[in-house]
Amino acid sequence: MKKAIHCVATLTVICLVVSVLLAFANYITAPIIRQKQDEAANAALLVVMPEGKDFVLLTEDDLASYTLPATVTKVYREAGGGYVFELTTSGYASGLVLLCGVGADGAVTGATVLSSQETLGAENSYGDRLVGRRAEDIEQVDTVTSATKTTAAYRNAVRDALLAFAVLGGADVDLRSEAEILAESLNTALPSGEGAFEKWFVIEALTGVDDVYVAENGTGYVCVIGDEYVGVKADGTVTSQTDTETAQTAAAAVATVKGAVLTELSLGSYEGLPASVQAAAVTESGSVVLTVRGAGYGILGGSSYHPASGEYIIVRVAISAEGTILDCVTLSQAESENIGDACADEAFYGQFDGKTAQNYAEVDGISGATYTTDGYKKAIGDAFAAFNVLKGGV
Amino acid sequence: MKKDGNLAILLRGLIAENPVFVLILGTCPSLATTTTVIGALSMGLAAMAVLICSNAVISLLRRIIPDTVRIPCYIVIIAGFVTLVQMVMHAYLPALYEMLGVYLALITVNCIILGRAEMFASKNPVGKAILDGIGMGLGFTLALLSMGTVREVLGSGSFAGFAIPFLSEHTVDFFAKAPGGFMVFGIMIAVVNAVSHGKAPKKKSFSCEGCPSLGLCHGESVCAEQAEKEAK
Repeated sequence: MKKAIHCVATLTVICLVVSVLLAFANYITAPIIRQKQDEAANAALLVVMPEGKDFVLLTEDDLASYTLPATVTKVYREAGGGYVFELTTSGYASGLVLLCGVGADGAVTGATVLSSQETLGAENSYGDRLVGRRAEDIEQVDTVTSATKTTAAYRNAVRDALLAFAVLGGADVDLRSEAEILAESLNTALPSGEGAFEKWFVIEALTGVDDVYVAENGTGYVCVIGDEYVGVKADGTVTSQTDTETAQTAAAAVATVKGAVLTELSLGSYEGLPASVQAAAVTESGSVVLTVRGAGYGILGGSSYHPASGEYIIVRVAISAEGTILDCVTLSQAESENIGDACADEAFYGQFDGKTAQNYAEVDGISGATYTTDGYKKAIGDAFAAFNVLKGGV
Repeated sequence: MKKDGNLAILLRGLIAENPVFVLILGTCPSLATTTTVIGALSMGLAAMAVLICSNAVISLLRRIIPDTVRIPCYIVIIAGFVTLVQMVMHAYLPALYEMLGVYLALITVNCIILGRAEMFASKNPVGKAILDGIGMGLGFTLALLSMGTVREVLGSGSFAGFAIPFLSEHTVDFFAKAPGGFMVFGIMIAVVNAVSHGKAPKKKSFSCEGCPSLGLCHGESVCAEQAEKEAK
């Protein structure tokens, strides 16, 4: 028994002594370890905020009372009152991860790309152009030609960082997406539409109106005139409060929309039509609406692409009698996910609005999808060629 | 146990009783940390520091620690020193700390250290225990260093991070991977055996002295293994 107690006591004493010594060692080294770790973490943050110090990563609890833009994935608070935001973009240039510093004065102190799924060229130094910008003037920074989409996404992410900075500063910021704002504006302008609207495919030139939305239940229309959303009932009465001139413009546009009639053309009776033209129609005023089949990546470049009917890009284009594109929309496509499928985004095809046979080729391509872009532009070119043939024949 | 001179104790660990190539102890870190020279050297030095300290303390306490609980006592002491080395490295050499990763903590269960505590430190005075720690530590470090050199030069075409002309363009990835480690390990054992002309202690010559169960039977009973051999 005595021996057993002796054993236990010895082991206990050794354990205690070792623990005390280790506690002492920990007391000495723990602050140094912490400091070294912070320095390593801060090295990246210092790139975007060279004068920042004592960065603290804010936890979810810290941020619980704020609604930040969805782009913001991490927030570091700096001792001087500035913030560094980690941002992850989505949508057109998804997967771009940025680090952006915003100083206590609300100006960008720096921005850099942490990781990206794209091959970055000019975008790498794009952050330098944004230094010193504030929420008010960030939109004035030009995007980089040949990398418009990525730099636009970059700039929007930095704008989100500035918005987040404002939110953290207690400001009341509208964080709704463009789509949400549009949906709400349409609903306010024409409540009888019950929130279900479709953008009218412009086949007749409209004067003074940017866009027309058609209520899917047939109760009326909403005209977008500058910042204003003007509701017009199916019978032509304007429902929104607005000045007489705007109301007249809207009513006239709705009359045009209602009066627009398409007459299908028989393709066989025209010679020299590009083979890619699948359907054609004309309106009374001489606008031509064409459905064109464009070759996608699978036909132009890809060898591994599975042959399916969907490998063509089907584009619908309306060209006014004067030869200007009134509207353009991608009806179907089967391009590579997250790359070429951007041809179905309005951000891409919307660029063709207002273009003519002379300048349609100048629109920005889809980054990383040269074949898709080429095929798409070829389809638009075919539409213009068909337009000329049809005009000659009409 | 024959009485060895201090120098003999010190030199023994280098070749004749090299812990890695002759005693075949500490195989796990020998394979895992020898892909680079820096990793191998720092692992060797870290283990040597722990070995010297634990040998010294265990030797000091050899009359105090009761036989029945000696292994837990050794482990606590060794783990204490390992944790200390870990803390110091984390604080002052964070890059090395990251590089060695879990193998640093695993020094605790490194057979060399526990083996020396059991075989030597617990039976010898402090001075000799420290010399043994230095010798064995150097042997371990040298073994790791030689393996690390072969593996980094052939596997990555560099030495301690500096690219070697020609070799850096013709690397043999195999050596940087585990199978290459085993192969180098085996060849090294063969080389050391050849160099020492079989003077390296044969398994038999460890007899009871090198047996981890010695403390329990005090050489009084005949090992099953030995009995078997004698029967033949």
